[in-house]
Amino acid sequence: MYLYLPVALTSINILIPVGLGLAVGLLSGLFGVGGGFLLTPLLIMFGIPSTVAAATDSNQIVAASTSGTYAHWKVGNVDFKMGLYLLVGGFVGGIIGVQAIKLLHAMGNADFVIKITYILMLGIVGVYMFIESLQSMRKKKNNTEEANEEKDSAIGRFLKSLPLQTRFEKSGITHSVFVPIVLGAFVGVLAAIMGVGGGFLMVPIMVYMLRMPMHVVVGTSLFQILFTCIEVTFLQAYTNHSVDFILAVLLLLGSTVGAQIGAAFGKKLKAEQLKILLATIVLAVTIKIVFEITLTPSLLLSQVGGH
Amino acid sequence: MQNNFKLRIADCGLAVVTAFVILTTFCIARPASAMLTAKANHDHITIDFFYHGSTVSVRGEADPNTDLIIKITSPEGHQVLKQKGKVAGMLWMNVGQLKFENTPNFYELYSTKKLEDILSREEQDKYVIGYPALERHVEISPLANEQEKTRWFDEFVKFKENSNVYSASSGKITTTHTDNGRQQYFILTEWPYQAQPGDYLVTVYAVKDNKVVEQATSNVKVEQIGVVKSLAGLAKDAPAIYGFLSIGVALGAGFGVSMVFKKGGGSH
Repeated sequence: MYLYLPVALTSINILIPVGLGLAVGLLSGLFGVGGGFLLTPLLIMFGIPSTVAAATDSNQIVAASTSGTYAHWKVGNVDFKMGLYLLVGGFVGGIIGVQAIKLLHAMGNADFVIKITYILMLGIVGVYMFIESLQSMRKKKNNTEEANEEKDSAIGRFLKSLPLQTRFEKSGITHSVFVPIVLGAFVGVLAAIMGVGGGFLMVPIMVYMLRMPMHVVVGTSLFQILFTCIEVTFLQAYTNHSVDFILAVLLLLGSTVGAQIGAAFGKKLKAEQLKILLATIVLAVTIKIVFEITLTPSLLLSQVGGH
Repeated sequence: MQNNFKLRIADCGLAVVTAFVILTTFCIARPASAMLTAKANHDHITIDFFYHGSTVSVRGEADPNTDLIIKITSPEGHQVLKQKGKVAGMLWMNVGQLKFENTPNFYELYSTKKLEDILSREEQDKYVIGYPALERHVEISPLANEQEKTRWFDEFVKFKENSNVYSASSGKITTTHTDNGRQQYFILTEWPYQAQPGDYLVTVYAVKDNKVVEQATSNVKVEQIGVVKSLAGLAKDAPAIYGFLSIGVALGAGFGVSMVFKKGGGSH
């Protein structure tokens, strides 16, 4: 059955957005990522204008991350305190990132910088997570967090020497308040430059730099994504008129259910298994983008807006 | 003298006969070429929730000795598109934007025979019939040279054809000759769902000796109705309310599904 989308100005078989929503929601509940880096290109592939695809994706992530956050909160896997500090940082970073994008556009090489940043970030994160998880699994160490503690180095000592140290009970860690704020800002800058939510960057940062337990990372990341996407959805609807309500409803029909299934399924997986799965997806997306920019595209013109 | 007078009478007679012949020819020829009619069967397409494109048929009568061209277009405007190019000799990136002036968003062309066989280049340009004429009509900027224009116009057509809003073909119009010596034509076109709401003009050209001898027009209006129209209007006219509505529904759906899972499965 087909439905007409009033803002995208196109018609779509309802099984496509519901199915895509289900798949991305599953990833969201499982790994704590919004899934925009997967869903937006897929929607464009199915004929949705790029601006509408990106904006509507944010809208459906609001639903999926609400569903996912709730599911993780029920089992005590959301560190609200950490989430709030990261949000403050992310907000500041977003403002800096938007200015950086304006500067890049003025310099005329925005797309080059965005694409290269995207590939480098995805590639580094994917490779690092993959190797680290593989090593952990081989060593058959059940507690990765303990292993990380052992590797405490100069960076760890530096972080501990910073002022305003505070305890994050849910995650069982102590950090200066500046650490999550600065790291949140770093992700915010990159996310704004790349035009994505930044979940795939935030998750490894929480795991490897903040040393949070993987399952709390997923819940906390979703909590943070929820607020980021509420802001983005409103701004997109208000300034660009590019949120398609009907498409968002179709997507969230799948993604809210998918997020619940993902959260339930995630509990059955070990931290290393979750990380290696996420690393594989991130690497697959990196390879896809590398192919995209090296193979001659079939169309050399595209609509203005989006990637 | 008498002979001269007879000659003058003969001259006058000849002139009268000539005038009569010209007048008669004119009067007969006029109705013959004025026979061209055009009617689109589906001139008001409404877009509701379940809209997935439509069909539009164009039919009418024409002089039997003419070829026919049917052009369906939206009003001309300007379009800005992202342009991909190679960076560092190997990476395909967006390298800028191209502005296409005097271009319709929708352009479909049908002809009884190949365009170049029935219409001169001058006439094609005059009525903007066919891709080559459209290329000469369009202004593309910024461009380095004329070769660039052909290249990017071809890319423009490829982009539009990929979205099903541009097409050009010959031989799809069916014609039949009636008993009273007229020619009836008919074409059934698939109306793509990608064609945006708006007013479209159907122009039928009767062509003879490489020239357009007559044209007739009909209109097609595409309009959103009901909830589709209300939502599109709300998104444009009340974006803040629309934004809050979208977020509210997403939050509600997220919590709603969580409640269902909590009650139903007890998985958490």
